[in-house]
Amino acid sequence: MRQNKHAKKPVRTTWYKLDLSAIVYPTLQRRDFSSVYRLSVLLKEPVKPDILQTAVDKTLPRFPTYKSAIRKGLFWRYLEPNNRPGPFVQRDINNPCMPMPFKANNRYLLRIYYYDCRISLEAHHSLGDGTGGMYLLQTITAQYLRELGASIKCGGFVLDIHEEPDPGELEDAYMRYSNANVRPPRPSEKTYRVRGTKEPFYTLNIINGILSSTEVKNVAKQYHVTITEYLNAVLLYALLEKQESEKPLKRLPVRIAMPVNLRRFFPSKTLRNFITMIYPSVDPRLGEYSFEEIVLHVHNYMQYYINEKFLRGDITTNAATQRHPLIRIVPLFLKDFVVRLFYTRVQDKNSSAGLTNMGALKVPEDMVPYLERFDICMGQPFSRRTNCAIISFQDTLTIGFASSIKEADVERYFFRRLIRDGIHVTIESNRETS
Amino acid sequence: MSYCVHCGVELDPSLKKCPLCSTPVLDPNNIPYFEASSPYPSQKGKVEPVRRKDAAIFVSILLLTISITCGLLNRLVFSRNLWSLLVIGFCLVIWVICIPFIFYRKLSPYLAVLLDGLSISFYLYLISRLTGSADWLYYLGLPIVALFTLLLEAFMLLIMKINHSFFSVTLYIFSLIPLSCIGIELLCRNFLESPLRITWSAIVLTVCVVFIIAIVTIILLPRVREEARRRLHF
Repeated sequence: MRQNKHAKKPVRTTWYKLDLSAIVYPTLQRRDFSSVYRLSVLLKEPVKPDILQTAVDKTLPRFPTYKSAIRKGLFWRYLEPNNRPGPFVQRDINNPCMPMPFKANNRYLLRIYYYDCRISLEAHHSLGDGTGGMYLLQTITAQYLRELGASIKCGGFVLDIHEEPDPGELEDAYMRYSNANVRPPRPSEKTYRVRGTKEPFYTLNIINGILSSTEVKNVAKQYHVTITEYLNAVLLYALLEKQESEKPLKRLPVRIAMPVNLRRFFPSKTLRNFITMIYPSVDPRLGEYSFEEIVLHVHNYMQYYINEKFLRGDITTNAATQRHPLIRIVPLFLKDFVVRLFYTRVQDKNSSAGLTNMGALKVPEDMVPYLERFDICMGQPFSRRTNCAIISFQDTLTIGFASSIKEADVERYFFRRLIRDGIHVTIESNRETS
Repeated sequence: MSYCVHCGVELDPSLKKCPLCSTPVLDPNNIPYFEASSPYPSQKGKVEPVRRKDAAIFVSILLLTISITCGLLNRLVFSRNLWSLLVIGFCLVIWVICIPFIFYRKLSPYLAVLLDGLSISFYLYLISRLTGSADWLYYLGLPIVALFTLLLEAFMLLIMKINHSFFSVTLYIFSLIPLSCIGIELLCRNFLESPLRITWSAIVLTVCVVFIIAIVTIILLPRVREEARRRLHF
């Protein structure tokens, strides 16, 4: 005992630089805003919290970048391993994705909730993107089911918790692939912004639409496009309708900010952020677009931009800023000030809504019988608008809208369009409807 | 199973209205349908307050170290007079000012300002003890600190209880500036044993009265108020 008391504490040598995307998210942190996303899995049986806690405790050490705390350096922020107790599973709340102050929750940037049959994981975006979060959620879920007696093999999004973390999982993959010879300029044009009545603090309105993947696929096929292209077009259509309903004196282009998972194009095992944004848009000043024209336009845009060459150029542009020697030596508080200013003045005005598609999820065969569906929530939007996130599992496709405004016009136009195309939609919501 | 008659979407059994268009779900044949439990919990979450203990400990230790080292330096090396009392008093004032920000955030702002006033008064008392002169303290120092404490308390009361819009706050500031100037001038004259009348503070008062009348006019005329708000927004 005595020896232990006087034993030297091990010198902390492990820490992680924030990746290229993660640098921006902590800068935008406000008292009433954090870049937090939520991934949920619905099981077929109600969740047992004590067993879930055991699963979390066993799983988290396998994900060192998620079991970490964010710290301020003189020039950049960084992540350092967090050995404080937690994170503790807690009963779910009505207002998901609430702000996540860095010093609260024992400095964990993770929250794990349970409610009835649902396990939800909320993570700060500076730890990783949705794909990284999905690895964590599925590994926790697999471990939870194992604790209950199920036999689940590793594979896909389920990692082996007894294995040492692969260095490739912790890397900043942007740096490896930002090597194009040219830096294409970033698009920056003032776009239409949804105006709405702000909800009081601590409110996040969620509207989830549950659809059949096959039905959506068949409709998208009729338009000769993919599901993502079709749903993008529907959201652009909804935003155009919303703009028209406001009878504006001056119309503005509507544009969607859509993250693209770069792992599809650049092989990487990273569990951290590895996404870049593309901006499909429609400009009503050029004339009235029919829905078919919007679909075609989005299809052409995606075909043109989503390829290895363009995406490499895009990440090179982003990485160039971070690599610039003059920018590197500027103290953090000045960087924070400039980035926040740039984000609120330019970046936030650059898109009318956000849309992300996690795509069709694959889970290990042995896990399928235990799962009902997956839900996703892109988190609180930075300004008064609505964010849309899509995820599908087996034949269930979930579209989750999250907004902190009272009006649900965009959601209404969106789902009504799907109904008009013959897709059956079931709606769930946490909005006060009494 | 209910459908919204306007949107055509199927609604979760827990919903009483369509979340998209607020049309109520009406099913005359099945009234107790609303008993279904919601897929979302009703309890709202709140952000855990941030612990500022580390900052509090750091500031206290820093100020305490400065006080002790200066005290020792005064006692052992430069011991001609009690100059270290000035440094210790200053550290105390800083510590008291820091209380509502890092030690106890729930402290009533009125009490915080009162404590600030008391600590500054105590600091002035230390100076008077050190310099061996007390006149200025009783006739000038303490009355001015009391005056400013009182005006600050009044300012906070007005902001918190009456109105804190941009124009109201400007009005309060322009009302309190001449009061403080008149107070300072009268106290100075009293201390110097000059006749009690106002000179330079009368100019400040006149300028402020012009501003006050202009602001009151703006506040009372809604059209002008909106116009001014638009033009002055920042």
